[in-house]
Amino acid sequence: MNSNRRQFATTAAGLAGAAATWSTIRRNGPDVRKARSRVAILSVEGYSDALETLLLAALRDFGLNVRGRNVLLKPNLVEHLPGSPVNTNPKLIGAAATCFLRLGASRVVVGEGPGHERDTEMVVAETSLEQELGHRTITFIDLNRDELVRARTKADYSGLGRLWLPKTVLGADFIVSMPKIKTHHWAGVTLSLKNMFGIVPGMKYGWPKNILHWHGIHESILDVCATVPVDFVIADGIEAMEGNGPLQGELRRFGRIVLADDPVAADATCARLMGLDPLLIFHIAEAGRFLGNLDQNRITMLAEGMPRNIEPFRVLPKFQNLQIRA
Amino acid sequence: MRGRELVLELRRRELPQGGWSFGASLQPSVEATTLAILASAAEFPEGPAYSVRSLLSVQRGDGSWPAFRGDDDGSWTTALAAVALSRVGGDSRVREKATAWLVDSKSREAHWLWRWKFKTADAEAGIDPDKYGWPWMPGANSWVIPTAFAVIALKQFSACTPSEEADRRIRTGIAMLLDRACVGGGWNAGNCVVYGSPLKPHIEATAAALMALQDEPRSPLIMRSVEWLRGQTANLRAVSSLAWSILCLFLFGASVADLKSRLAAHAAEVSRIQNNGTLAIAALALQCGETIHPFALTR
Repeated sequence: MNSNRRQFATTAAGLAGAAATWSTIRRNGPDVRKARSRVAILSVEGYSDALETLLLAALRDFGLNVRGRNVLLKPNLVEHLPGSPVNTNPKLIGAAATCFLRLGASRVVVGEGPGHERDTEMVVAETSLEQELGHRTITFIDLNRDELVRARTKADYSGLGRLWLPKTVLGADFIVSMPKIKTHHWAGVTLSLKNMFGIVPGMKYGWPKNILHWHGIHESILDVCATVPVDFVIADGIEAMEGNGPLQGELRRFGRIVLADDPVAADATCARLMGLDPLLIFHIAEAGRFLGNLDQNRITMLAEGMPRNIEPFRVLPKFQNLQIRA
Repeated sequence: MRGRELVLELRRRELPQGGWSFGASLQPSVEATTLAILASAAEFPEGPAYSVRSLLSVQRGDGSWPAFRGDDDGSWTTALAAVALSRVGGDSRVREKATAWLVDSKSREAHWLWRWKFKTADAEAGIDPDKYGWPWMPGANSWVIPTAFAVIALKQFSACTPSEEADRRIRTGIAMLLDRACVGGGWNAGNCVVYGSPLKPHIEATAAALMALQDEPRSPLIMRSVEWLRGQTANLRAVSSLAWSILCLFLFGASVADLKSRLAAHAAEVSRIQNNGTLAIAALALQCGETIHPFALTR
């Protein structure tokens, strides 16, 4: 009898454990973390033509193999607000496009689906991105209006299950997330993971992609990034935004670009540079369980190290708990 | 460049199965298709019959239209489809079903629980959730553009087929639009203020909202918004936004001849306009004053 009871308890515990493991796997999606991730922090004065040389040298340090590959650069374009650091700077986007071509990519396209402004052509023209890409003969794809393919999400935080995603994104061999380093009034920060919200098409989900907010911003970010892995990050923090970001915050002259071969390592590093604790930002902390490395011990710094003194980014009162205390 | 030439280009880009995608794909978009049908109908009285049939074939059983062929959900494009079908005629039961869906379709704020949330936990959104409109897709909040086109579609339909239900829904939608106008006039995508900071108006949202309000009393807010829009057109080069501005300002009695000339110049290199929705709206704007305005209200 005792033996039966023990056997039953063991079996039940085993089943419960298996169910919990399965549930965790299903929620997280497959573990794609590298043994080690690499991050480079580059100090940069401003947006000049010298960016291209600097960026190419830094990309070479990563030894990326993009030869013959179809590269998609995904910047953060929201709308044109003159004088406000809302969008990834077009000079950086242009420089990145040329660098990837010089590294042997067969094709480089820039794709984005702005979240609020429906006139994408106007955003691309007014931000000077059109001009920047035009003279490099790089194509821009409006991801809000691309052909759509339904994909099963590879994680299940949001409960969406399936997402319609642009064919350009699903067909890319190498995806580079190019966020603007900013605070965000709902998500805390908007970095390379949050930037991937922009691949979700407005044609299906609207302007803004509000249905994803109802499924949870952090949760939707995790599902999108599990489904469409980011291969590389070039984060624009030369001019960053603090306070009530992502649109109404203030300029923070930050003077840095952050490169990484892992979006979680990139975002964790950016958050630390912003004086914020990545472990307290749900989507970054959770992504550290399966999408990339959060732990500094598993991140190799290729260029500059973390600065000794960090002046934290100003945040809305509700995010003051994110600031790292000395 | 005249409207007719843009329409001829649109007809060249019509998909083999009927309808139009936004760009080079073979996946028909209901928004691009309805705008292209409206633009074509003005130049060719027989209308693009094949594409109208294609549009009708994707109407869902509940009367709504999806955003594109293959999509399972109803969407805001139902309002555009109702407007397009009103222009080209045909079986009125199709439009009846579409408008019935619009009357029943509600945003999140229509539910008391979410209204309470917006009044308490999400008060920083700065909206009055008692005033709700239409979402882009079921399950989301009200936004300005879907609300504006739903109001236009219902007003057009109820001009001939009045109903108390439709009228009540139109009034709620109008209240939402007026509640969410930006401080100095005009409309952003939805809210006008976030965490105490005012948002900047957007051209297309402002044009759409004003078209929905064209037959409402000309309040200072409406006139401020018209002036804001007129001011924006001074240096505007983007084809789509310029076209929406023309369509709207015309309905408010503004002279649009100069704007049409500028639009014609910007649209001259037609191959550069890859977005068929933009091409269609540019054609409609260039036809403005010469043919029936697709978004005019006659109540």
